[in-house]
Amino acid sequence: MFRNISTAVKGCTEVVATTSTKVPCAGKPSKQTVPPRPIYLTNFTLQSNLLSKKTLTPVTATQIRLVHTDFKVPDYSAYRRNSVKDPNASNRDTYENRNAFTYMVLGTAVTGSMFCAKAVVHKFVLSMAPAADVLALASIEVNLNEIPEGKNATIKWRGKPLFVRHRTATEIQAEQNTSLSELRDPEDDSVRVQKPEWLVIVGVCTHLGCVPIANAGDWGGYYCPCHGSHYDAAGRIRKGPAPTNMEVPPYKFINDNTLLVG
Amino acid sequence: MSITKVFYQTILRRPSRFFVVVAVGSLFFERTLDIGIESLYDRINRGKQWKDIADKYA
Repeated sequence: MFRNISTAVKGCTEVVATTSTKVPCAGKPSKQTVPPRPIYLTNFTLQSNLLSKKTLTPVTATQIRLVHTDFKVPDYSAYRRNSVKDPNASNRDTYENRNAFTYMVLGTAVTGSMFCAKAVVHKFVLSMAPAADVLALASIEVNLNEIPEGKNATIKWRGKPLFVRHRTATEIQAEQNTSLSELRDPEDDSVRVQKPEWLVIVGVCTHLGCVPIANAGDWGGYYCPCHGSHYDAAGRIRKGPAPTNMEVPPYKFINDNTLLVG
Repeated sequence: MSITKVFYQTILRRPSRFFVVVAVGSLFFERTLDIGIESLYDRINRGKQWKDIADKYA
């Protein structure tokens, strides 16, 4: 509202004393002098002249060019597809062919990139697989013909002793008839063996890791000399400090005479 | 030309189908490249590899 007051009072260029009886006229004529045209030598002089709102003569040319007949229209025909070089050709008739070409180029590039990406990923995933020397030791074959009935063979497998026991008919009968209620770690004999004649277990006592002695102990299976754990002929804990049965590794029978462990 | 149009309308225009075709195509591409380079290697090294002389020994 008061924004325009300054323009209204701008005419009064003198401070009026209240005691004065003469009322100065708002339109008092004053001698107008045209300031000399400033010389814009530097940015500073230009800015200071602008800020003081002195007369600034426009220096920009305002001429408008109206005649364009001498302009050459650029020729883009080198960049156009053949099907649209004719100015009267309809875009709709051929855009599928042109787009198909573009997408085929894209598809070829993506196919190549996918092949490369798959190769890289494959390489990194394969680096997580076990090395060939580890794989070679991971599984062993056991010739079962060399183990007579009633004997226990100890074989080194993955740095641990492996017990392969050829059980007698008496032992098989005894283990199969054992009631689960008698066992500390109840497991049926059929769960622990694939063929009743062959018991395959990791020969490490589940108490503190000693290697038990075969065909010893109160149950005739295994006996751990360290702290006196008794195992039966199915490797199940029957007496002593060991908490669980001896571990059964993954194994399978390749044929009647060969066992593959691991 | 009409084959191109059908191909464009059915496969290329839909990104889902497009990428399925590209993925399957890359499998075929990989297999083709493998076989091609393998056969080239065998042709260059003809007579030098074990499979070339294995019938003399085994």
